[in-house]
Amino acid sequence: MQLTEGSEKTEQSQSLLPAPDAIFCGNNQNMLTQLRIEFYKLRRSKSFHLSFAVLVGFVALMLWGFYTYAEHKTGASARTAVQFRHTYESKTYFNGLTFALYSLIFSFSLLMPVFVAMTAGGQIAGEARAGTLRTMLLRPVSRIQVFLSKFAMVALHTYLLMAFFVGLNLLIGYVLMGYDNLELYPGPLNLVDEPGKIMQGDAVWRFVYATFTGTWALLVVGAVAMFCSVLFDSPAMAIVTTLSIYIMLYIIGRIEFFEDLRPYFFTTDMDFWRDVLKPAPPWHSFLHYGSICGAYIFGLLLAAMTIFDRKDILT
Amino acid sequence: MLARVTLCVLFLACVLGALRFNPFRDRSLLGMHPSDGPRVRLMTWNIGYAGIEGDNRAHDSDLAVVAGAILRTDPDAVALQELASPDQLQVLLGYLYHRYSGSICQFGAADRIEAVLVKDQSARFEDIRAGDKYSLASTFKIGTDQSAKHQVVLVSAHADAFNSARRRLFTSDVIEWAQDRPETDVVFIAGDFNFELNPEKQSNLFTDNAKNDSESYSYILKYFRDLGRDAGWTAINDRRIDYIFGPPEAALLRRAQVLKDAGAPGMDHCPLLVEVAL
Repeated sequence: MQLTEGSEKTEQSQSLLPAPDAIFCGNNQNMLTQLRIEFYKLRRSKSFHLSFAVLVGFVALMLWGFYTYAEHKTGASARTAVQFRHTYESKTYFNGLTFALYSLIFSFSLLMPVFVAMTAGGQIAGEARAGTLRTMLLRPVSRIQVFLSKFAMVALHTYLLMAFFVGLNLLIGYVLMGYDNLELYPGPLNLVDEPGKIMQGDAVWRFVYATFTGTWALLVVGAVAMFCSVLFDSPAMAIVTTLSIYIMLYIIGRIEFFEDLRPYFFTTDMDFWRDVLKPAPPWHSFLHYGSICGAYIFGLLLAAMTIFDRKDILT
Repeated sequence: MLARVTLCVLFLACVLGALRFNPFRDRSLLGMHPSDGPRVRLMTWNIGYAGIEGDNRAHDSDLAVVAGAILRTDPDAVALQELASPDQLQVLLGYLYHRYSGSICQFGAADRIEAVLVKDQSARFEDIRAGDKYSLASTFKIGTDQSAKHQVVLVSAHADAFNSARRRLFTSDVIEWAQDRPETDVVFIAGDFNFELNPEKQSNLFTDNAKNDSESYSYILKYFRDLGRDAGWTAINDRRIDYIFGPPEAALLRRAQVLKDAGAPGMDHCPLLVEVAL
């Protein structure tokens, strides 16, 4: 219909605009739809399934190593008993909870971040590379909704990884080794300053808490990857950049030569997740480093969202 | 817009949270409450040098500085490590105006020896065979009263610097010796144990050093309390490798301090001073 008179045009336009409530409902509806679509894509992606499969493989290797080590140290052929009369490595020490603890701590720093970076790095850049980003943004959803729904899937995947891994370790540990109290000693895991113990019932809950704190810590890597995913049009570039930054800081933070730089690395702050596995969690430290991780997550998301909102989509 | 504002608020909340919660507040001094019992002040000090070139044992020229620090802090007994010769003990006792009696252990397989200085002139000294080395124990009384009921034992120990397995054997021998003391003796074990309990401080992650040191340290803590735990680092590179272990219940910690500026230039350890009430 051709509108010629100004008053008629205004009247007609106003009648076409949805009511404010309708806008709100429509936005919510759009967001829910977007989340459903992203969840579907996540569920169908090969990397999603691969991440769980690799974790199962890791647990199998851990189990093998743990079992042979425990047998070597406490079995009939144990040599240490001759050389060292006093050791805390006894049959009760090698139980399912100790297995779960070692497995979780060893995998957290170098295995989990790879999967988080893979998922997050491919979110925006993957769509750009596939040529679907422009089409996606033609639909009546805002860029912010697209961005946030994608990050929500990264968070969901991260939590599922943590929960699956902790659950699998606890289950296998329980079935094959049984539970006893979780004994902690200063040194190898760097969890305590003096020998301590967590009762088995409490220890299981501590692992449950660790799924949340671990997710929060890993979301820093996820936020870095989302930021890179917005900057680059290639998912490989986004993932490799994220992992390079992470591994570089992780390694530098491990070398005594760079000790003074360590407090400025997000990899140092991410370590707060393990505090819930200490006999007496240091709550001030926990909240301090947890907050710093939160600042990294929200700061990076804000920056990435701003760039994405203004970005000229050419692919 | 709402999403941006929400993220901004969350970001600011996290920054404020990080500023509000101070991670160092968790650290607290060991429980202390008044005690009327006699006090004993103990010091441990590795007076050797850093570096692998040249003689890194104690230097004669530093003994006056060592004696000065001892006289200023006035400990009842001092455990010294890395003396180069018995003559150094005599020189040191001279610098201390013979207010202390002292002795050294046998050399064993090492090229350096441990010493104990005690104010009590009637103190007894005894060598302890630990691994392939020797440590030295001194048994003395606190106070001038002849009937003083507290008999204190101070062990001066120095574990291997390069091999964690040897440290383990050494530790177990020293602790076993201490366990054999009569129950009336209040035993303190002091010295440079070279435990590396922080994996981040290790230059080589592919060794079992942390495991061995963890077991050694945990074994000591089965029977003793780490009195200098909150006093901070005792050696260069921020390492806490000098310890004074005391009985967990018989002694109340009153003070634990690392004297950072006490040594001469080139020395790689600082003395650890603790005061306990018996």
